[in-house]
Amino acid sequence: MSELLPSLSGNVATIALRDAREQLRDRFLFWATLALLAAATASLVTGAIALHGDAATYAAARAQLLALGKDASAIAAPEFYPLKLMRGMIEQIEIMGAVIALVAGYRAAAAERGRQTLALVLTRPMPRWAYSFAKIIGGMGLAAVTLAIVFLATAILLPVVSGVGLTMGDAGRLMLTWAAGVLYLTALFTLGFGLGLWARSPASGLIYAFALWILVVLVAPQIGDTMDPDNQVAGGVFAQLSVPKAEQDRIKAGFAGYESFRNGIEVASVTKHFERFTFAVLGIKDTYTGAPLVKVMAEKQGDLLFLFLFSLGLGGLVLLRPINPDRLTKES
Amino acid sequence: MTASQLIARQSLAGLARDRSVLILTTFFAAMVLVTAWLGWSATNTVNAIYADAAQYLTASAQPVPPNPVSQSAPLAVLRNLGVYISLIGAFGAIVIGQLLIEIDRRAGTLPLIGARPFDRRDFTFGKMRALVTVTGAMMAIAGVISVATLFTIPSLVLGLSDLLHLALFLVAGWAYITIFGFMALGAAARMSATAGGLIAATVVWLVVTFVLPELTANVHPTAAINPVSTLAGTPDSGFFHLMSWVLGPFSLAEGFAWASGDLLSFLPDGLAPRGPVPPAVTLPVALILAGLFAVRSVAKLDLNAGGPDV
Repeated sequence: MSELLPSLSGNVATIALRDAREQLRDRFLFWATLALLAAATASLVTGAIALHGDAATYAAARAQLLALGKDASAIAAPEFYPLKLMRGMIEQIEIMGAVIALVAGYRAAAAERGRQTLALVLTRPMPRWAYSFAKIIGGMGLAAVTLAIVFLATAILLPVVSGVGLTMGDAGRLMLTWAAGVLYLTALFTLGFGLGLWARSPASGLIYAFALWILVVLVAPQIGDTMDPDNQVAGGVFAQLSVPKAEQDRIKAGFAGYESFRNGIEVASVTKHFERFTFAVLGIKDTYTGAPLVKVMAEKQGDLLFLFLFSLGLGGLVLLRPINPDRLTKES
Repeated sequence: MTASQLIARQSLAGLARDRSVLILTTFFAAMVLVTAWLGWSATNTVNAIYADAAQYLTASAQPVPPNPVSQSAPLAVLRNLGVYISLIGAFGAIVIGQLLIEIDRRAGTLPLIGARPFDRRDFTFGKMRALVTVTGAMMAIAGVISVATLFTIPSLVLGLSDLLHLALFLVAGWAYITIFGFMALGAAARMSATAGGLIAATVVWLVVTFVLPELTANVHPTAAINPVSTLAGTPDSGFFHLMSWVLGPFSLAEGFAWASGDLLSFLPDGLAPRGPVPPAVTLPVALILAGLFAVRSVAKLDLNAGGPDV
């Protein structure tokens, strides 16, 4: 047993490193990173421009009130929290990052089946789960590198577009978000890999993976979002009706059943847990803006736990499900 | 039967045997089925909230604003349908476009078809005919389910004009998803690697759905798939006005969302389409261009490239 472990870890490392080299060689990582970087930058820049527009509108309104001799405190000043500008970027990771991870997972399975090397690899003296484990580790490395580049670029760009420097605390929040992103993308990589390995043809596996992506990443959160009464009216229903907060809470209490059902649909999606956790950590959700990280972690540990257990469960399923000998080549 | 009809029939038979097409079509039909209920339930909730709020405002002697949700447009309960067409319908069309080439390539029948006395034009139009038939069938299913569910909601009264608007909306939906189907068909013909066309067309669809709306109007990805939130005005900034003018005609997802809001009567008052060209022009032009791309690509398809051994 003691001799088996170093040999096993050596095999796992060899396969994971070979996968990483292969991804680098065919420039998939390069183009995927570039696409995500472009989408993230577009989100940051457009968010910053919109915020500057709000600030200019506020300044003009304030100047007008002061010129009329009125009290300027009647209008709320826009708040400047640079991390709030990451909303669009996080949503791009949720959606585009997920597609990249699925395709990377599919490629990890399809490449072996297409070149008929899967059968060859499995003739080596190593357990079959170790092969899948190596592939997942390779995928996790891919997600970590891609997101590290995107987050590093964001950390450089944020102070430039927002005009507000990042603190050490902000850097810590970025790292925590990066770690959650790696976990989320690894789960989707595992899904793409598993379906690419199990399906009759890898291309069918990719189609099933995309169909699941639409259901889990887009449709489930979309249903919850659409059922939110505040999203039925531009600007929010309560804002339109000018109802004070206390009265809003009383009215909402009357729709507790509806709200539980709506929330139930949302939380069935791992994407929503990733979003709720990262939005709270970065202070994108107003109730967590400026809140200490300890408080955020205490309140959002359930979302992080779901993300972790989902990734673990999916990984476990891929490791434990035996590789069908009839699925060792591209066509079966 | 003409050669192109024969190719179309053979292609449709191949699609019918593929389980992924059946799964996607069933998924699409299921989402269409819940659309009307989603819209009806959300509208009812806002109406109930309004009644509560109006009671409070009256009791505290404050002015009661008008109900922000219009109850006069029965088709508005179908507002989620446009989203599901642009998500599941468009993806289904991409898969079908890819499979129309991939099935023959995978089975090794492309060289055999090439050996038959068919004009390449017949082969191209046969494949396109098959695609147009399936996307048309998907919209027909959506239409039948929508009408059936609309008639089951007791508080809704549908007129002939509503049905006409619904039919026009389904035609727009058909055009929108067929654009992506043609793209996938053309890309699959040009790229012999397995799933190459699927990935290429999906990337274009992702950019159109989630990146362009951010650039034209700062509409984030989650808002882009919310039928109400996506119908936001262009932010009052020189940058967004310029981007909206330049990219608006290419932002097909926004164009389709605007057309959906207009035809299903939930478009906010005074909201103009993004860019200088209305969707009534951009969608047909995009359909023609995507069709030409498919024609050129399938005409140049190498019948010996790819296949089960590559």
